[in-house]
Amino acid sequence: MDHVGSKGNGLNHPLVLGAYGISFAWSSYALGDALSLEEVSLELSRGEMVGLLGPNGSGKSTLMKILAGILSLKRPGASGQVRYLGQNFLSMPWSHRARHVVYVPPDFRLEFPLSAEEVVLLGRTCQGGGFLRWRSPEDQKKVEWAMKLCLCWDFRKRRIDCLSDGQRQLVSLARALAQGGRVLLLDETLSRMDLSHQAAIARMLKSLIQEGWSILLVSHDVNLVARWADRVIFLKNGKQLFQGTVREAFTSENLKVLYPQTDLFLGSNPMTGAPQVFFNGETTR
Amino acid sequence: MEVGERVKVFTVGSIAWLGSFLLALQLGAVDHLELEFMAQIRLPRVLTASVVGMGLSVSGAVLQALFVNPLCEPYTLGISSGAALGAVIGASYGLHWMFAGLAGTAFLGAAVFAAILYLVSLRPQSKNVTLLLMGVMLSFLGSSLMALWMTLTDSNGLQGLIHWLFGDLSRARLKGAVISGGFIFLLTLSLWRNWRELDALLLGEEGAETLGVDVSRVRRKLILITSFMIGICVSSAGMIGFVGLVVPHFARKLIGSLHLRLIPLCALGGAITLTLADCFSRVLIRPYELPIGVVTALIGSPLFVWIMWVRKETV
Repeated sequence: MDHVGSKGNGLNHPLVLGAYGISFAWSSYALGDALSLEEVSLELSRGEMVGLLGPNGSGKSTLMKILAGILSLKRPGASGQVRYLGQNFLSMPWSHRARHVVYVPPDFRLEFPLSAEEVVLLGRTCQGGGFLRWRSPEDQKKVEWAMKLCLCWDFRKRRIDCLSDGQRQLVSLARALAQGGRVLLLDETLSRMDLSHQAAIARMLKSLIQEGWSILLVSHDVNLVARWADRVIFLKNGKQLFQGTVREAFTSENLKVLYPQTDLFLGSNPMTGAPQVFFNGETTR
Repeated sequence: MEVGERVKVFTVGSIAWLGSFLLALQLGAVDHLELEFMAQIRLPRVLTASVVGMGLSVSGAVLQALFVNPLCEPYTLGISSGAALGAVIGASYGLHWMFAGLAGTAFLGAAVFAAILYLVSLRPQSKNVTLLLMGVMLSFLGSSLMALWMTLTDSNGLQGLIHWLFGDLSRARLKGAVISGGFIFLLTLSLWRNWRELDALLLGEEGAETLGVDVSRVRRKLILITSFMIGICVSSAGMIGFVGLVVPHFARKLIGSLHLRLIPLCALGGAITLTLADCFSRVLIRPYELPIGVVTALIGSPLFVWIMWVRKETV
């Protein structure tokens, strides 16, 4: 396999997705120029969950969309490359990309009524099929599997616009699982779930990791990332601050740089032993 | 909705279409059935009503998915207006050789207006509202350019086009009706073939891209096909609003938003609606005839408002 600048992650697992030297600038007449990513590189291996942390506007979602091939790098002010299993990912056809790397947006909005099951079935779009064949038995099996895994099988007949935000996120995740790719890019996907759903879904994701899936998780919940991720990447103002294992990354110095003017205390979770960030909501000077 | 219910919807729809077709064929007819009259005047007219209704409502449904907005249709987006402008310009140059009406230049007009809309939709800061506003502007632009052209050229025959602009089926002839019917049918099929991509677009542009759909390519392709279809519809029957908006709306209520079923139901519903509207246009103020566009709007708008009111729903 072709590793460009592979640093290795200590787990000795094969590299799946790599992004190298990604720079990206939003430019428009209305919004003006805003550099949102500068020379960011990251690698994702089989069987690992990487957390991507950073303050609002640090370029996390932009990076995710570039990795998924939704934001094109063929524009002024953008450069870098994305490789999937050593091949140039961005030159692959759309449907091929969607079959391997799946982006899950924080939320989705529908202008037209659809049931939860229909939304999950839309995940099978990239698999193609015959003209008049709405769903194959394989599609059906995948949809049921994904919805049961994401705890949304019970409300599969309900309309999406009648569901709560958290339930919609479950459906969104199920849609991604049904799509068939084994690399998930989760953008705040667990943010609106209640504690028990969050825990159940995180455990489910962890079991997928053990089966060889790879997950890049963006979240503002630092403790969620500290508990479940194998490695973390800190992003700030479009620049990569640090990347390493959770224990290496979660230091008071790093966190102070990442979230300045916030009164933070770094401890550890008494139940899991994972690093835990406490804060009292006060700002420091 | 279960399979049985769906079958029922389509069966009832087909029977209703056949019924309205037969009704329109014999309505207000002569005392003794003159076969020749039926074949040359009435049949092409009813046939045109059916296929134009089909074309308009299918393009409405497709445009709504393409621009992810339930308010889109050929009329509100100004594409009909572009087609009419093209047809008027073509007519003033004596291009009457094209089939039912003036599909060639009408298609060009529709395509130019649709291309403008497409370019607007590409800009990252344009929202759905921008697109609709743009459509309304294009619609005004099209009608004023048309009026300007008619005033400037003032060639014979163009004044008669005023009636045609509000929807006029009385010009239909058999050959033209069959040719445009064939084209609309084929174009509907080719739009229907893309149901997977249209479904994906229900999740929005970015959502569809997440699902592996090359949105800009699909948009380009489908806008081209729809423009051609709208060009044919407008050139053979004039500007008929409303069908493209209301029929897809009710079809969605009946059968859901997925296009594998929605497109055929829209085709049926559009055909029924326009065939019935044609009946009304002939009997409402007998012995005169109302333009069919007037009928669809006169009956359609209050109906739509009433249903929205009663069901307390948003569009």
